[in-house]
Amino acid sequence: MQDLLNLFIKSIFVENVVFAFFLGMCSYLAVSKKINTAFGLGLAVIFVMVLTTPLNYFILTYMLKDGALAWIHPSLATVDLTFLAFILFISTIAGAVQLVEMIVEKSLPALYAALGIFLPLITVNCAILGTSLFMQEREYNFAETAVFSFGAGIGFFLAIVLLAAIRERLRYSNIPAPLQGLGIAMIITALMGMAFLSFSGIKL
Amino acid sequence: MHQTLPLLRDGTYCPIPEPNCRESVKPIQRVIDSVKPHFKKGGKLEKFHPAFDALETFLFVPGHTTEQGVHIRDAMDLKRTMFLVIVALIPTLLFGMWNVGYQHYLAYGMQTTLMENFLFGFQKVMPIVIVSYAVGLGVEFIFAILRGHQVSEGYLVTGMLIPLTLPVTIPLWMVALSAIFCTVLGKEIFGGTGMNFMNPALLARAFLFFAFPAYMSGDIWTDLSPEPGHALVDAYSGATNLVAFDVDYTQMSSVSDMFWGFEQGSIGETSVFACLIGALILILSGVGSWKIIVSSCLGVVGMGLLMNVLAPADIPTHAMHTPAYYHLLVGSFAFGAVYMATDPVSAAHTETGKWIYGILIGVFTVILRIFNPAYPEAVMLSILLMNVFAPLIDHLVIEQHIKKRIKRA
Repeated sequence: MQDLLNLFIKSIFVENVVFAFFLGMCSYLAVSKKINTAFGLGLAVIFVMVLTTPLNYFILTYMLKDGALAWIHPSLATVDLTFLAFILFISTIAGAVQLVEMIVEKSLPALYAALGIFLPLITVNCAILGTSLFMQEREYNFAETAVFSFGAGIGFFLAIVLLAAIRERLRYSNIPAPLQGLGIAMIITALMGMAFLSFSGIKL
Repeated sequence: MHQTLPLLRDGTYCPIPEPNCRESVKPIQRVIDSVKPHFKKGGKLEKFHPAFDALETFLFVPGHTTEQGVHIRDAMDLKRTMFLVIVALIPTLLFGMWNVGYQHYLAYGMQTTLMENFLFGFQKVMPIVIVSYAVGLGVEFIFAILRGHQVSEGYLVTGMLIPLTLPVTIPLWMVALSAIFCTVLGKEIFGGTGMNFMNPALLARAFLFFAFPAYMSGDIWTDLSPEPGHALVDAYSGATNLVAFDVDYTQMSSVSDMFWGFEQGSIGETSVFACLIGALILILSGVGSWKIIVSSCLGVVGMGLLMNVLAPADIPTHAMHTPAYYHLLVGSFAFGAVYMATDPVSAAHTETGKWIYGILIGVFTVILRIFNPAYPEAVMLSILLMNVFAPLIDHLVIEQHIKKRIKRA
């Protein structure tokens, strides 16, 4: 229990997907102009992460890992399909996003309209694929995977909402013309990353 | 009739006779007025108008009048606000200078007078202050001239805060580097004073802290330049109270030493007493928000008490057992809460937001101090972190307020 809590906090603050690994930058920079859309995208990312990472965990454990297919037939115990991880992970994510999109469109048309193009864009959000790959690389068990994916999603959500709030505050700042827009957003991200560095080395 | 009354700088006549009128500072003003035309539009030094303007408005309250709308002007403009913060910083600066000398002679076991301590510290601290001001203001003037905006007087405070948060042994080129970094990337790039979202002085310190960790931690807090005929005393240890605190909290200095500031640390941070004088000046003049100071103290004490409850009972020296009020005295908490957290630009702007902002600073300070032994100077980092959170806090407070008003209507 202590370990899981530790992992949860670590994945939000210490190893924030945005500030520590610079994943998911494209949607992070593009959708952070307004707090409300950033909020919606952040929620969608949390949802997709929590859905796909455990799903990918099952795919990995029961289909891809060395000897994982033994449950079908003993003769398959020597098969190692790990090289298919990338393509299967991304298909799961694409499928999950499609599913989310259909559900949201059907049941919550208002939210669907607000999110617009950003909902399908989650498919190519590297933070989500990254979370699945971290799960594979660090060999998490199921409980850890579930906690880690939720924490990573909250980390992304927090990062994008914070950036959006800062950008809204800076709307009337006299930023030099060449830096307006993405330029200043990247500088802000770097400065935010510096503030988040205070968590590195934390021991719980 | 106008012949008898003094002519003012803005071209009108002073309604009161000579001695009481501000014309009494004539010699300086005459020089300024004589060169003024060169800096005006079309003058040969037009480019340097921001530099001239900075000097002129620093010496005199601006002479220009409102052309339409409200005609009442508060004499308390940005320049004078910043000046009050400098005044509030003087106690910590003077005490810091004395303490630099005191710690130096203490390490060598020498008996010295108050004046000797102070002079030693003065010699060591002054170069840092001068470099910080010269480099930072230089960058400000270059930006002001290139971008054609006024020289922001905010640097007057930042330039003083930077040296006070640094150890006395810091190489001068690092002070210059951090001053450039914080002025360019922390402020000018956003458009100057009032338009940034992080406290530039904190950014300077964090920059040095992460870029040159070897110069910002370890045995660097006391100036150990050799004293002929004296060797370091055996009892000397370079560890600050915050380092001692992580190993065994009972090893810290006594409460009174920490309150008055007879301990090692950054130049300006050691004395809680000096910070309290500064806090009094800031609060009475209305420059600093008392809500932020009070709420960050509440956050620290609250979190400290919570830690005491959760502390492991089998390790009596564990940092979590530290009495909550110790957190107020140790390290740079007082300095950070009074001078850094109250920065009106980077703090939360809404009144409810200020309470939340302050409490979170206190909470994160205690959490980082106890659980992150790598960064004992948690105060600066947690204020920096809250600078990042402040816009979101404001947004949520305003949203909440709007919702409440709609419900009432």
